[in-house]
Amino acid sequence: MSLSLRILLLVGAFLAFCFISTRVRRNKILMQDAIYWVLLSVLLLVAAIFPGVFIRLSQALGFISPSNFVFLVIVALLLVKIFTNSIEISMLRHKVEELAQEVALRDATAGRSSTEGRSDGRAGEKDARTQA
Amino acid sequence: MRVLAVIPAYNEEACLEDTVRGLERTCPQVDYFVVDDGSSDATGQIIRERGLNGVSLPINTGLTSAFRTGMKYAYRRGYDAVVQFDADGQHLPQYIAPMAEEMAVTDSDIVIASRALAGGGPVGARAAGSRLITWLIRVTTGALVTDPTSGMRMYNRRMIEMFATGFDVAPEPDTIALVARKGGKVTEVPCEMRERQGGESYLKLGNVVRYMSRTCLSILLFQWLR
Repeated sequence: MSLSLRILLLVGAFLAFCFISTRVRRNKILMQDAIYWVLLSVLLLVAAIFPGVFIRLSQALGFISPSNFVFLVIVALLLVKIFTNSIEISMLRHKVEELAQEVALRDATAGRSSTEGRSDGRAGEKDARTQA
Repeated sequence: MRVLAVIPAYNEEACLEDTVRGLERTCPQVDYFVVDDGSSDATGQIIRERGLNGVSLPINTGLTSAFRTGMKYAYRRGYDAVVQFDADGQHLPQYIAPMAEEMAVTDSDIVIASRALAGGGPVGARAAGSRLITWLIRVTTGALVTDPTSGMRMYNRRMIEMFATGFDVAPEPDTIALVARKGGKVTEVPCEMRERQGGESYLKLGNVVRYMSRTCLSILLFQWLR
């Protein structure tokens, strides 16, 4: 692994850590989400300070250059993160829609008298029970 | 002292009503508020049909958000203290009074019902994790919390406000550590707990490992970054 790559990793890890810690301090990110980035910056730091680990691993796996292996690891980690982000965004989208519908329907029932709505519900239940 | 028991409930149809009735019987002077966290079973129906005091969230939002719903309720109604109370019957209501007394006498921000002080506590992997968290809180804040994973905690007015209005505050050990380091007072009273009386535990072994590592990291990072 070249010296310039190691320095770049070091600077990158440092910047990533500074960035994420200011976001945490300014209440812009939840700790549960920040932990991934803190761990990633620690990993970059380890790769920069102890390149031997990566060099040995890349030789064992048959990579031509250790830096290729480092890139692959970073790309893989980012892909995993993007994938889990997609899942989370889908869930959030679903929940926001669910909430919007719920609020809209609450406005509709609040417009009517609440007892009326309730007795309707009760009557429906009784019908269902006698049918059963 | 006006105390509110906040009872987060996610799919707790099996034991929610027994828990609430037990609480009413043992502590008639304590109010309660159930927060159904978008359960897919009959939990919400039980709240409405049996006339329990509580609300149903339209979606599942997680324990932290459900609990904070209860904290907002307490904050708006001016309660002096909130006790975090499990719906599954693990927590015994007779310990609420000693906790409130401890809070009044020592002017604590958080009072924890400690199984360890009563000679009990979690077993197996959870016990090891619990001891690790105790040690971490000790070295980072100097405070001794013998049972950090106890889910039965009482919070005073200042904590109610923090939970109701703050960002990223969870009813978890990392918040206890943060409060302790910021000069808050955390005390404990000895307490026994039961096995859960029905339903399924969220903390299975895989979850325990994940929960412990996340909590430990979070305690450390909170100390450094906040």
